[in-house]
Amino acid sequence: MDPQLTSIIVPTEELRHIEECLVRLVEDTGSDYALLLDKSGQVISSQGDGDRQDITALGALIAGVFASSREVAKLLRERDFRASFQQGVRENIFIALIEEQWILCIIFNKGTHIGLVKVLTKKATDELASVLERVRQQHKARDEVLGSSFRTSMEDTIDLLFRD
Amino acid sequence: MALINVAAREIHCKIVYYGPGMCGKTTNLRYIHSQVPKEVKGDLLSIATETERTLFFDFLPLDLGKVRGFQTRFHLYTVPGQVLYERTRVAVLNGADGVVFVADSNKSKMQENVNSLKELAQNITRQNKRFAEFPIVMQYNKRDLPKEVLAPVQTMDHFLGVTRMHWPRVEAVATVGTGVFETLRAISRAVISKL
Repeated sequence: MDPQLTSIIVPTEELRHIEECLVRLVEDTGSDYALLLDKSGQVISSQGDGDRQDITALGALIAGVFASSREVAKLLRERDFRASFQQGVRENIFIALIEEQWILCIIFNKGTHIGLVKVLTKKATDELASVLERVRQQHKARDEVLGSSFRTSMEDTIDLLFRD
Repeated sequence: MALINVAAREIHCKIVYYGPGMCGKTTNLRYIHSQVPKEVKGDLLSIATETERTLFFDFLPLDLGKVRGFQTRFHLYTVPGQVLYERTRVAVLNGADGVVFVADSNKSKMQENVNSLKELAQNITRQNKRFAEFPIVMQYNKRDLPKEVLAPVQTMDHFLGVTRMHWPRVEAVATVGTGVFETLRAISRAVISKL
């Protein structure tokens, strides 16, 4: 399929798998919360006690950091940096890449050991990689979701909201 | 690549403002941020240097509300325009659904416009997307420049290949908002048509 015309569509049952996976990761590691992002920075799911309003901005920034580190990898003739770790005074962030498409991000404090986070994140990324694989194969669902009437309504909304 | 979350009934699209340094990309976003209703916009996030030049990107999330039951969100980004930040632009462009190319209407900036557009074409192609089919809207900014330095629209069309590529083109003065929303409407429509 033309990559231009592909949108990633996450069906209801797959989102449930993703949520379960993130909840388990948060519980098993004792982290504060976990986020699954698309590489474009959009938040697919967030779990944990992070009832934060700035989650959209957080997604954009983390994806930016990751995309930036990918370019660093290229300059070093490294294939990719699969994971990155940012250490703060109170909170730490561990970020792992899933198949060049999604980014898993875990935010945890001093009470959680980084080794445990790494091991369990590896397990979670494998699980999420198979979800992603299934999501990619379900492209045919797009037309059922977005019919021509959707596009017409969308254009009306755009004209209404983005007027001079 | 737009993200459609069926369970949460959400659609996210990423739009990137691209162009040479000081052409007005951040000004576009600032104007949009100042004009759209409060319930539509999130905070404008800028990662800039001390002199207010964009270092990484500006980011403005817009929430269009429910369209046929789907919560629709547009995320607008700018890239840093300076030549130095080529790799940063690649990073920001990652996963974009559409691009607004902001061209500077100053005659002396024509070569910079052309170079930046060439670089954009390369970067889109590197993402395994076909540049000719990628949603792009061309904005000729700073149309209020004095006549002596203002490049005629036809000249810009010629240099930037606008007619050949069939890109929608908007004349703008982003500092006062002229053409800003027309550009946003055009790119939004182009992105939606490719979803």
